[in-house]
Amino acid sequence: YPSPMTPMTPITPATPASESSGIVPQLQNIVSTVNLGCKLDLKTIALRARNAEYNPKRFAAVIMRIREPRTTALIFSSGKMVCTGAKSEEQSRLAARKYARVVQKLGFPAKFLDFKIQNMVGSCDVKFPIRLEGLVLTHQQFSSYEPELFPGLIYRMIKPRIVLLIFVSGKVVLTGAKVRAE
Amino acid sequence: MTGRVCRGCGGTDIELDAARGDAVCTGCGSVLEDNIIVSEVQFVENSGGGSSAVGQFVSLDGAGKTPTLGGGFHVNLGKESRAQTLQNGRRQIHHLGNQLQLNQHCLDTAFNFFKMAVSKHLTRGRKMAHVIAACLYLVCRTEGTPHMLLDLSDLLQVNVYVLGKTFLLLARELCINAPAIDPCLYIPRFAHLLEFGEKNHEVSMTALRLLQRMKRDWMHTGRRPSGLCGAALLVAARMHDFRRTVKEVISVVKVCESTLRKRLTEFEDTPTSQLTVDEFMKIDLEEECDPPSYTAGQRKLRLKQLEQVLSKKLEEVEGEISTYQDAIENELESSRPKAKGALANLTRDGSVEDTTSSVFGEDDAEDEELEAAASHLNKDFYQEILGSGLSSSSEGAGDPDGDARPPALESLLGPLPTAASLGISDSIRECISSQSQDPTDACGDGELDLSGIDDLEIDRYILNEAEARVKAELWMRENAEYLREQREKEARIAKEKELGIYKEHKPKKSCKRREPIQASTAGEAIEKMLEQKKISSKINYSVLRDLNSKGGGGLQEEDAQPEGRTATRKLSRRKTPARRHRADPVTGVGKRLRPMVSAQPAKKAAAGEPLPLSPSTLGAEPARPTAVLVESGPVSYHPEDDPDEDDPDEDDGEPCVSALQMMGSGDYGCDGEEDDGY
Repeated sequence: YPSPMTPMTPITPATPASESSGIVPQLQNIVSTVNLGCKLDLKTIALRARNAEYNPKRFAAVIMRIREPRTTALIFSSGKMVCTGAKSEEQSRLAARKYARVVQKLGFPAKFLDFKIQNMVGSCDVKFPIRLEGLVLTHQQFSSYEPELFPGLIYRMIKPRIVLLIFVSGKVVLTGAKVRAE
Repeated sequence: MTGRVCRGCGGTDIELDAARGDAVCTGCGSVLEDNIIVSEVQFVENSGGGSSAVGQFVSLDGAGKTPTLGGGFHVNLGKESRAQTLQNGRRQIHHLGNQLQLNQHCLDTAFNFFKMAVSKHLTRGRKMAHVIAACLYLVCRTEGTPHMLLDLSDLLQVNVYVLGKTFLLLARELCINAPAIDPCLYIPRFAHLLEFGEKNHEVSMTALRLLQRMKRDWMHTGRRPSGLCGAALLVAARMHDFRRTVKEVISVVKVCESTLRKRLTEFEDTPTSQLTVDEFMKIDLEEECDPPSYTAGQRKLRLKQLEQVLSKKLEEVEGEISTYQDAIENELESSRPKAKGALANLTRDGSVEDTTSSVFGEDDAEDEELEAAASHLNKDFYQEILGSGLSSSSEGAGDPDGDARPPALESLLGPLPTAASLGISDSIRECISSQSQDPTDACGDGELDLSGIDDLEIDRYILNEAEARVKAELWMRENAEYLREQREKEARIAKEKELGIYKEHKPKKSCKRREPIQASTAGEAIEKMLEQKKISSKINYSVLRDLNSKGGGGLQEEDAQPEGRTATRKLSRRKTPARRHRADPVTGVGKRLRPMVSAQPAKKAAAGEPLPLSPSTLGAEPARPTAVLVESGPVSYHPEDDPDEDDPDEDDGEPCVSALQMMGSGDYGCDGEEDDGY
């Protein structure tokens, strides 16, 4: 059995010290939710906002987009809203507030309750190829590697609860984090 | 043996007859006990003359399967859901497994996986076929058979990714780590399909060597093993002078043509491909390549870096060019007569305008260039033509309101640069302020924090009247059908409300848990259960209620009979145990009722059902019961029915017998009954 060509950082399931290698993942996407606190009439919003689409047969929410920061929001008739596409926590918050402002201007008493970041997606490059078969052998209980289905290895870390998609080229996608520290 | 005293004679010599379940006093002959439940093994004579033990094997989890008695129709009746699921699963596993040519050991292992899955409730909400396929594939992986998930999905006509999802879930829940697929496993299978004849083994060996080479060159990580096999086999075939076209190979290997070509190209890029056939068989190159995706990534990175370097160089070159340009222009200017006044002013002011915009810090490379050009031009023009006056104005150009000319031109050019710059500073300020802000403050009162949101920007997102109207029209046209459906639905609901039969059709809620029925007697429990469940409209519930108080439920029995015939599954399941459990005296059924009263409703339903059913099943054999009816009429052996009077002759016109008689006369089996029934 040939030994791996390039060294892999010995990751114990408990604490990966990514800082030591100097690689910091870049945030690619943040998903957050906020409660606007009042019932909304989706038809009014869809018909009076420039950047909104509403197809009740397909999905029961208004899809609204703004250019700065470039994000998309799903606004439901109960007053809850999901905001995706921001690249940082502050941008996500700002975008959510902008959507709330639009809804306010359309005549609804919108508030800004319980803003919570639900998911953060980041990616990074470790700059060396990774031997996925070796990884799945040593970390069997956390890894799942199915080349027939997906070319990357799915590593489910327990603490913190993050899922990593590890590819042979050395690129790693991290998802499932609620705070940046994770 | 009980050591009791006879009531009649006072004698203590009581004889227990195990076969009949009697306790008889040998002195006076009075029967002290009848229907004793004993746990002895009984033997029955077969038709062949041999004897076999009476009894059933009861599994730990189930209530006991019931082999049919004198029948064979309705094989699947009398089993509860779990057993049925397992049996069904076993059948399907065997069916699929035979199509895949799996041996018996594999099929058994697959069935074990399936049992585990069922016990962990993983079959809920999933198609049985998917779970079966996942179990089979799991076995294939653990055993190392050359079966692909694609084969299974071919057989089932299901999307392979759906199967894959189920498979991954199953593997995770059962904590089974399937070893990673080795493409070498597939070589013999595909080679056989490609029909190499006698040289099959050689070609396979060559293909294996190729594969190993590919592995060392990092080509196989993250790729479908079948694609690699296809490429290896194609090359191996060519090496041995077999003409296998790409089409043939892909039909066997089940990958796309482009995938195969890509693998071949990648292999071509490795140094091994440069060796001749003989050299390849003998030599093994030491160096190893990087995986193709890694090299591609590196190449992109390098390209980007090159681009950056190039662009920087371009800027430098452009700077040089502009200096040359300026020099030339200066020469021209000095040699040409003075430009027309207005135009010169305009050009001068244009350059001033550029400097003002660049002062605001726009980071466009374009502007940098312009700035460079402008500064060059400024230096020469101002120094030459206007001298110190304009140089002061060029300094004052930094102050937007300094000079008369710059503000006017700014407004000419439009507010864009200034607005944009303001916008940027706005968000910068907002970012700084929000960073320092305490997050709890913002969400404390729930009010929308408007800091940093430009109202103008927001207003741009809202349509004005005319636009809104147009959009409304378009939207109405698009969604006309949906709106129509909504209106119809509302009309329907309104009508129903008027009529008072409006039913709130909520989406399916699984109400499995009902509150346990609190009842004091078995009869009450049955009543309540039936009210809840409403098994059939054919049951005369009032009669059923009187079931325990009176002995004759004849009417009810007949009603129950057709209901039993058109049995719902649950009921039919109970049919056979009830029928069978004549042997198990219905005291057992009765006894089951009592502990069930305080138990969960599910069991209650189960226990309650035999009662209405036993009449129906027993009614299936009218002949014998009639005899029994006559015989055992006056005797009530049903210990539960304390207040009961056994009055079987009440509804005697019926050819069928009421439940109670059968219960009363119930004995150890048909023989016992026959004995009673002479």
